[in-house]
Amino acid sequence: MESGHPFVRLLLRFSVLVPLLRWIVGQRMWAVTTLTWKAAFRFRLFWVLAGLLLCSVVLLPLLIKDDGTARGFIQIMLTYTLSVVTALLGFSTLWLACGTLARDIEDCSMQMVVVKPIARWQIWLGKWLGILLLNASLLALAGGGIYGLLQWRTARMEKALALARAAKDEKLAAHLAAQLGVLRNEIFVARGSLKEPVPDLEMEVDRQMEKLPNKESLSPEQVQETRVQFRERINAIQQVVPPNHLRRWNIELGLQRHLLRNQPLFLRVKFYAAQTNQAGTYLGLWQVGPPESGRASSMPQSLAANTFHEMTIPPNLFDDSGKLTIDFENRNNVALVFPLDEGLEVLYREGGFGLNFSRGLGIIWCWLALLAALGLASASLMSFPVAAFFSVSVLIVALSSGTLANAVQEGTVMGLDHEGGVSEKSPLDRVALPVFESMLYVINLTKQTATIPQWFAEVLPAPLRSLLHTIFPSPPEPFSPVAALSTGRSITWGTLVRACAQIVIFMGGIFSIAGMVILTLRELATAQGQS
Amino acid sequence: MNGRPYKLLLIGAAVVLLVAASFLQRQLNRQRAELGLTRIAPLENAPPVLAFTTVALGGFRGLIANALWIRANDLQMEDRFFEQVQLADWITKLEPTFTQVWLVQGWNMAYNISVKFRDPYDRWRWVQRGIELLRDEGLKYNPREALIYRELAWFYQHKMGQNLDDAHLIYKYEWANEMTRVLGGGRPNYDELVNPSTGEARERARLVREKYKMDPAVMKRADELYGPLEWRLPEASAIYWATVGLEKSDKRDLITLRRIIFQSLHASVLRGRIVLAHTNGTYVFGPDLSKIGLAHDGYTKMLAEETEMPYAIVKAHRNFLKEAVYLLYTHNRLAEANRWMAVLKEKYPEAVPADQSVETYALKRMTENITELNHNRVKAMLEGFIRQHFEHLAIEDDERAAGFLLRARNLWAFYDSSIQSRREQLRMESIEGMYRRILDEMLDPQTGIASGYAAQLRTKLNLPAPVAPKTNPPPVAPKRP
Repeated sequence: MESGHPFVRLLLRFSVLVPLLRWIVGQRMWAVTTLTWKAAFRFRLFWVLAGLLLCSVVLLPLLIKDDGTARGFIQIMLTYTLSVVTALLGFSTLWLACGTLARDIEDCSMQMVVVKPIARWQIWLGKWLGILLLNASLLALAGGGIYGLLQWRTARMEKALALARAAKDEKLAAHLAAQLGVLRNEIFVARGSLKEPVPDLEMEVDRQMEKLPNKESLSPEQVQETRVQFRERINAIQQVVPPNHLRRWNIELGLQRHLLRNQPLFLRVKFYAAQTNQAGTYLGLWQVGPPESGRASSMPQSLAANTFHEMTIPPNLFDDSGKLTIDFENRNNVALVFPLDEGLEVLYREGGFGLNFSRGLGIIWCWLALLAALGLASASLMSFPVAAFFSVSVLIVALSSGTLANAVQEGTVMGLDHEGGVSEKSPLDRVALPVFESMLYVINLTKQTATIPQWFAEVLPAPLRSLLHTIFPSPPEPFSPVAALSTGRSITWGTLVRACAQIVIFMGGIFSIAGMVILTLRELATAQGQS
Repeated sequence: MNGRPYKLLLIGAAVVLLVAASFLQRQLNRQRAELGLTRIAPLENAPPVLAFTTVALGGFRGLIANALWIRANDLQMEDRFFEQVQLADWITKLEPTFTQVWLVQGWNMAYNISVKFRDPYDRWRWVQRGIELLRDEGLKYNPREALIYRELAWFYQHKMGQNLDDAHLIYKYEWANEMTRVLGGGRPNYDELVNPSTGEARERARLVREKYKMDPAVMKRADELYGPLEWRLPEASAIYWATVGLEKSDKRDLITLRRIIFQSLHASVLRGRIVLAHTNGTYVFGPDLSKIGLAHDGYTKMLAEETEMPYAIVKAHRNFLKEAVYLLYTHNRLAEANRWMAVLKEKYPEAVPADQSVETYALKRMTENITELNHNRVKAMLEGFIRQHFEHLAIEDDERAAGFLLRARNLWAFYDSSIQSRREQLRMESIEGMYRRILDEMLDPQTGIASGYAAQLRTKLNLPAPVAPKTNPPPVAPKRP
């Protein structure tokens, strides 16, 4: 088993994880893992993929058109290279997973293995582990390339800045310094986000309903309608800032306050205007800091509606308890609406880019692990072409979750009559919609952190419900490493652990169990190929 | 027959057939167009990769374009704009002869995305991207499409020329500085650009042709037709692209291009002069009443050429003449105001009552303008009032002079109080600055009022007499040894 390609030996010998993994999985499973690796080298798959990945990392930045800013270039480079790497590795993983097991079964070499003292589930897991390790090394290679390229680009800009300063070209130097500043503060960083907690609307609606003098005389329909009206009113009170009115946000920094001393924070806001004006911008006075202390920082701003804006908040404007007060005074003659979910958030530096980038690659690796499990599970039952077709079909359905979500949202699979705004119901909906909903829930487990279904949360006792809400946050946090990395958002360890748990252990586990059971029960001699 | 000669023969045959096919293809394309067998225009000026892609993908390119369009829309909703340039490039390349695709993508960048940024220079970059998409790419593949010329000219005339965008001043300054760098000022030497003889002229001509995709010969022609054009102002570029469009486009939608020309000429009267260029790269713009005649000629020419919708030009021309009369009146150019009033009454008798005098008409209009408070019109009025103040001082009509100055101050204060929410974007030159500048202009011995009146004005304002120009010192006698 130790012989083979020198690169394989090198990787196996020097990887820190290898002895540990070998010890954990045992000699038998490890032998299958090594065989999978060898096959990947024998068929030149590793080299071809490594070459393709490196080519895409190097060539893509030369081909893409950016918006002319350093930030735009880095963002598009990160997005496109990571997307291409994910797509390439995703398809090759499916292909390899289907091929490695199905072909072994079809050409009867599997029969040679199963007669050895090794269980079929160990063979299955050994192959999965082999593909996971292969993906990990290829992802590390591509990720290293991307990271190196980013560092090289930044270093080149720094060099250009130094040259501009030496040549006393102040305009160019200022431009480059500003661009580098944006990169450091907004892209090459892992920024956490703090928001005002979303108020429990239902509780407030209940309270308002309690105050109704004639609530007993209302019919169930009237109660429903009244609740809707109360909800909308409460929502409006929370979101709307009428002309010449002030809205205050209190953001609790909690324990973060100790880490955020002497650090600038960033205010990210978005609002909608009740009525558009010709200029498209709306004047408002932002005041950040303890209101009566005299330390508050004032920022009059004319901002466009329907878009996000970022403003820098000077350091140390929160009070001793870690509360950051933000006031907005609407100085327009139209009302402005700050949505509860994305109207205002405070961004802060949580960590560096390198570790964040690694965590992002970790989430991509989780997706690849799931694809490998899917490919192996289908190859446990089907021949190579059918397994490949089936796996790709499942992938396409998963990627079409937008269509499923639309159907669920519209309440029909027949489509919405957009002129009338009414959906045409079909008998098919009774079956299709619950299926779509379930599929969507499962697919979403690979895209975002799980949430507790409402009906389930309601039957739980309050402490348990609270604990579950901490573990499964609502609204869910998306697993979107590419978007997060290209916008400098933090991918927390918690998110990575959740991704591992949901995607690899739970979803991958289901496919693994199915695959191992099928492989164990399968009569291998009947699967002999025509050749 | 096999071996090397056979292979060479096959290669030779392939080359001959390919050459023959290329000739036949041209003929086939021509016949397809003549017989109306296809509604899709053959792609012009496309690089080989694009030509191959559009043919190889066939009908699927529409699907891919749709998917890209959906992605672009989704990203825009999420305020992630960094991919927009690339996506717009792909979408337009997949549908290179679909005019609306170019228009929507260009508009999206110049109008929708640009206003999402706070920094005016970020906005300017997106306006430039929109212009570049149409000018550098769209027109390359659709050189006969009037609507693309119109859209491009509109970006100059409306996005940069008007003041609806908070960053409009930055657009104007940046454009003026760019044109100054390229052309050396607002009035280039066209012959030098057409046939450059020096290294510097060659570099200018290269920039004009390669970067700005402008043809110096057409620039000259546009200047002769509608000029003198001030190229540092965006309206000149608007007129240029409309002129190119009128020359090259299929005979469809030409009214949109004519509209650009007369609207730009109209704008040039209101704001067609750079009265001050600061060293920090900012400018002060002012009305240019000398262009009233040129604009009128432009309208007349457009009217003579337009066959589709002449009434649109008639209406615009009538409004222009009314504005011209009023502007001339506010600048105390009564003789000219009366002359244009006569033209107005002659051409459009229904526009003003036959017995209405220039004074009565102008007073009525003044009331309307003050209510409307358009930046350019208010500025023109202010300059007119201040000019009249000096002119009345010069003829010793102190009372009326004081009245005009008071009117100017009141109008300035009223305008300033009404732009509170956009003071920075719509700021008006200070009344003191305007006063000083116009006084300097009027006292200028070359371009100002007659020397007698100038002396009178100096006396009224207690200004010192002008310093006599220095004469050369007498030649120094050679020292005797």
